[in-house]
Amino acid sequence: MKFFVIKLLTLMLLSFGALHASASAPASSEALSAHQEETYKTKPFSEMVGGFLKSTGINAFMNPDPNELNAHGEKMSDFYKSWGRLIMILLTFFLFWLAIKKGFEPLLLLPIAFGGLLANIPVANIAGAHGFLGVIYSMGLSNEMFPIIIFMGVGAMTDFGPLLSNPKTALLGGAAQFGIFGTLVGAVALTQLGFADFTLQQASAISIIGGADGPTSIFIATKLAPELLGAIAVASYSYMAMVPLIQPPIMKALTTEAERKIKMTTLRHVSRLEKLVFPVMVLTLAILVLPESTPLIGAFMFGNFLKESGVVERLNDTLQNSLINTVTIFLGLGVGSKLAADQFLVPDTMFIMALGVIAFSVGTASGVIMAKIMNMFPGHKVNPLIGSAGVSAVPMAARVSNKVGMEYDRSNMLLMHAMGPNVAGVIGSAVAAGVLISLFQ
Amino acid sequence: METNLIVEGFKFMGLGMGTVILFLVIMIVCMNIMSYVVHKFFPEPQVSLEPAVNTAQNKKIVAAITAAISHHRQG
Repeated sequence: MKFFVIKLLTLMLLSFGALHASASAPASSEALSAHQEETYKTKPFSEMVGGFLKSTGINAFMNPDPNELNAHGEKMSDFYKSWGRLIMILLTFFLFWLAIKKGFEPLLLLPIAFGGLLANIPVANIAGAHGFLGVIYSMGLSNEMFPIIIFMGVGAMTDFGPLLSNPKTALLGGAAQFGIFGTLVGAVALTQLGFADFTLQQASAISIIGGADGPTSIFIATKLAPELLGAIAVASYSYMAMVPLIQPPIMKALTTEAERKIKMTTLRHVSRLEKLVFPVMVLTLAILVLPESTPLIGAFMFGNFLKESGVVERLNDTLQNSLINTVTIFLGLGVGSKLAADQFLVPDTMFIMALGVIAFSVGTASGVIMAKIMNMFPGHKVNPLIGSAGVSAVPMAARVSNKVGMEYDRSNMLLMHAMGPNVAGVIGSAVAAGVLISLFQ
Repeated sequence: METNLIVEGFKFMGLGMGTVILFLVIMIVCMNIMSYVVHKFFPEPQVSLEPAVNTAQNKKIVAAITAAISHHRQG
């Protein structure tokens, strides 16, 4: 019975549709043909094939279109459209290898590298204003939104307990910011000596690589020198991944064996109220001393406050996981859009890479030296190995301190002690970023 | 007159490092005051240290931890 009804209904529908179609067909086909003639001219098949071949990627690489514009709508030379793009695509493959095989910050390096691959595709113009990478860039990078959201997530993941139980280690996080300003001097010196041509804004944006903090670097670069964003972000994340290679030789060179074996007193217990007051306290200080740093510090402390409040577990969970993951994808792709050949294959990139490694090394060294200076004063001794963790790069730098410490004394656990300067380094870089921004207002 | 960029760079460095260190020093002072106030006026209620789990299970846990430590030391 049921089947019969369905069949009947189908039949009725079909016949109605057919009737309707036969009634309207003549009128619409006439209209269609008139419209067709306006928009489409018949061509012989050979011409169609020829036209298609011209639109292939192979042709675009071999005979670049002289009228093709870059993502900013400016002309670019043929080199950037042909060999430049091929070189960049190979470079992104190299970045894939670093991320997958070598485990270099894969969470960000993979999206960045893939974004770079997409940005170097000819014809499609994915990184242009209407391509999806371009849309992602203008959605959250050109207005500095994504790094701020990442900062919220990082705040929610940060535990200020080790810093609160040994406040003076915050100085190590401050000293390591010397890497930023030392590199700033280096970058302007290169300009002064005629090797490179960096404006003070560009030099500042490059130097923030020494903060060893991805979101801060991206925040400053988009604000002060968006044209260098690709190189700065790639340098920043790849050096952060290389912290275990860059830091130990410097740490060992600057310390004696006896210093490396210094045992630090056990960290005291930190009450929940202290952890809850801390984010608000630091934000208040930032408001009073340097309001320019409050976008970064405010977002960071917001995330941390949600976590420590203990009453918004769902929001805390979103910040730490789904939100930061989502934004990381967009941030990576958006940064990758700046790996277009015409913006990345310039001599500046080479200098940025060189200055970046100097920034990391100087930051590491000054953190260690600061710890040695602190040991000249009375009070509990500080193991200088934790000084290197002041460069931020949470939590990698702290792990490096711990590892080097264990090489000399297997029972010497420095990890929690190193987390103090480590998180202070994040605050320090945010303050340094605020100073740089305030200087260019 | 052309500005000497290196001198500018050093000016930035002075101001920047000064601000960073000043900020952190104030932060350290505030942290110490805050910890003092919190411990003095809002001490955390002392959680009783009596183990909630039964002693047999506790012994097992202790044994497991001891084994793990000795294993770790042997490396």
